[in-house]
Amino acid sequence: MNCFEVLGRIDGYLDDRLRPEDAEALRDHLAKCSACAEEAEAARDLRRRAARLQRSIDPSRDLWPGIATEIAAGMVVRGRFGRRWLTAAAAVVLVAGSMVVAYLVGRGQAVTTVENRQKIETSPSAVVRASFDDLGVDDYVVTRNVLLGALEARRENLSPETLDVLMENLKVIDDAMGKIAEALGEEPGNEFLMKQLAAAYRRQIDLLEVAVRLPAEA
Amino acid sequence: METIATFPTDTAQPPVVMTAVKCSDPGESGLVERAAAGDVEAFEELYRANVGRVYALCLRMSGDPSLAEELAQEAFVRAWRKLGTFRGASAFSTWLHRVTVNVVLGHQRSATRREARVRAVGDDLPHDVAGRQPGTAESIDLERAISSLPDGARTVFVLHDVEGFRHREISRLAGIAVGTSKAQLHRARKLLRKALIS
Repeated sequence: MNCFEVLGRIDGYLDDRLRPEDAEALRDHLAKCSACAEEAEAARDLRRRAARLQRSIDPSRDLWPGIATEIAAGMVVRGRFGRRWLTAAAAVVLVAGSMVVAYLVGRGQAVTTVENRQKIETSPSAVVRASFDDLGVDDYVVTRNVLLGALEARRENLSPETLDVLMENLKVIDDAMGKIAEALGEEPGNEFLMKQLAAAYRRQIDLLEVAVRLPAEA
Repeated sequence: METIATFPTDTAQPPVVMTAVKCSDPGESGLVERAAAGDVEAFEELYRANVGRVYALCLRMSGDPSLAEELAQEAFVRAWRKLGTFRGASAFSTWLHRVTVNVVLGHQRSATRREARVRAVGDDLPHDVAGRQPGTAESIDLERAISSLPDGARTVFVLHDVEGFRHREISRLAGIAVGTSKAQLHRARKLLRKALIS
């Protein structure tokens, strides 16, 4: 076995994947050739170091909002459900939920006095409420109201900025849910729509749960 | 297109085996089934569980943090679109890894056609690795050296020595001969040794 052949088979040798006779020939060569022996040792060392590198690295930002938007856009492109506004509504729900939760969790502790704020309330339309009858999430309105009540009780501890962001996005999700529910009225058995509506429900509840756990902004 | 001497193929090499690490999660198959049926929330859970490894692969293969984020995003979008083809023969994370490699290599091929890439060695060190993430001085030095490799050598080194792919798999994915893959790996190691010593 010459040097060229040895260099091409070093990894097979290090992985113990060579035929016994080839491995033996390679070992013989390494014993006589210091240059190839050095190459083999360097390869072993680099492989060892490479194996210790981190397997997982977090990106500097959450990539999910962009992915969710593209996924929703792809549904329109594939033409499965026809109406652009509908998938756009679904995308709004997905993106709004992720981004607002990230905003709320990551925001700083603003020092603000809350005065004359309007009562915290939003309300799903009757169509949305009716749509949930088929989704097995009958407690949606109850859960939502409980969380809104908890949020109302804490409103003095939250800055106007936080409350504004929260209310605006609850309304965005409400509006999107309304559109999805209207479409469900036209196609009651549409599984995609039902999943989107259930997903929107979970987004809104998730958002409220994060909001009621926010530390006081004093 | 860079030219490089190729090594002879290893005749005793076993059939192609995808050797990226498997992550067997009992809940994973359920999530994959739900995502394949159109459940976006299930797919988001798969994203959360895998984004770190996907981004790390994109970062090391591209050497550019911003580009790596774009590529990682594209990898997940493509995975979503191809979920129907996932048969469960391997772990989802393994399949996703392969999708990611294809996305990055596809980008590199099109980028090569569009423009010759000009990089100042060390300028585009993956700062995620050097800065925000914990790591030993040794691993940071190696990350820096990897990022300074020429594209072809870096790709093969990352796939072979970091991710555990074999030359035949790299050959198929990258559209190069097995001998070329071996030669690029040899070249990468030589350059890395030089960079780590200096």
